[in-house]
Amino acid sequence: MGLPIPDRPPASAGLLDRYAAEHVTGALRSPHGCFYLLDGAVYCVEGGTAPGLDARLRVSGKVPAHGWEAARTTAGPHHAGARYLVGEGWLTQGELELCHLAALLDAAFFALPLPPEATSFTPGTVHWLGVVRRVSAAALQRATAHRRALLDRWQPWATVDTCPVVPVEPPRSGAAATGRQRRLLASADGRSTPYELARVLGLSAFVTLLDIRRLAAAGLVHLPRGPAGALPRRRPGARPAERPAASGERPAPTWQLPVPELFETADPDIALLVRLRTALEENL
Amino acid sequence: MPGIDQVLSQAMGIPGVLGAGLIDWTSGLTLGTAGRAPHADHEATAADTADVVQAVARNATFDTAGTTGPPLEDIIITTGGGYHLIRFVDTAFDSQTYLYLWLDRAQANLAVARLRLRELAAGLVSG
Repeated sequence: MGLPIPDRPPASAGLLDRYAAEHVTGALRSPHGCFYLLDGAVYCVEGGTAPGLDARLRVSGKVPAHGWEAARTTAGPHHAGARYLVGEGWLTQGELELCHLAALLDAAFFALPLPPEATSFTPGTVHWLGVVRRVSAAALQRATAHRRALLDRWQPWATVDTCPVVPVEPPRSGAAATGRQRRLLASADGRSTPYELARVLGLSAFVTLLDIRRLAAAGLVHLPRGPAGALPRRRPGARPAERPAASGERPAPTWQLPVPELFETADPDIALLVRLRTALEENL
Repeated sequence: MPGIDQVLSQAMGIPGVLGAGLIDWTSGLTLGTAGRAPHADHEATAADTADVVQAVARNATFDTAGTTGPPLEDIIITTGGGYHLIRFVDTAFDSQTYLYLWLDRAQANLAVARLRLRELAAGLVSG
């Protein structure tokens, strides 16, 4: 007889679930974002961390600089801001829906879960853009959990999240970046953090974090130095990259370890282990 | 002017189509569906196809370096009974979505379906 499988502990229903269950209409304000609900479903999320719909449309050249303000002032009591943007011919209904949902997902990622002690609900409040498309609270939280899991696979490189992005020069041979990552590297001025790069380029802050962590793991972006004066901890099996490659042999690909003091390694055993771990974590 | 729902309903007019969806591949979030899904589960289909798309999109191998066009266009999976078509939606702003089409292999013409899906993806962003 097998052991009884314990019941999965009930997930504590978050604030968003509670308001969704009550089919409320209004605005939920929290420290990192404001959720607008219609009949319990989320139709708009705004936060300061990720670039909003306005930044995305402006940077991409879709909506002129004055267009957003014009939409806001002409929205009126019917909350027709979104209709105005489409009506002016700046973008199609499809583009509006896609961009709006992308901004909503990105803002929700940095605002969930809602802290109960610091979240307030204003019933009846409607966003001036109006309702473009709705997402159920359950689907939004599932999507956010999925994104969290993707980012957590690269947790060992999380130190790059809040530091200026500094590309490794010259780029290491053998490490290939996607077009998106190459664009990030080209825009990195050595002072901007991933969040700032996302804002300037009008990109998803979540995807930018993911890309910068991957670039750090591939050794294309510098890891921030540890606190000054701290002695590097000896790691069993680690050794400095001093083994010369036999002449005529291709240089073995090196991988950047998530330890700032031990910048990279040419030891094939360690490099293989790191690659294995990365591959395993990616396929968890 | 077509929105997501109109494009998906047009997708249902493609010969041999069983179901369609628009999905964000960084989260598996379904932005819209039409028709049926394998095992009658649109959510699971979105999660599974998003996994496939992530595996392709994160690799520089499939990225056309040095060209100005969109890096990825389609992913096609053929099975004994059906076709699964994934079409990336190319937008001027940053987004990570694809149109998904599930087709009955006996009824569908893969080349026709691919061209029609390409038109629909373009129509979504050009009106």
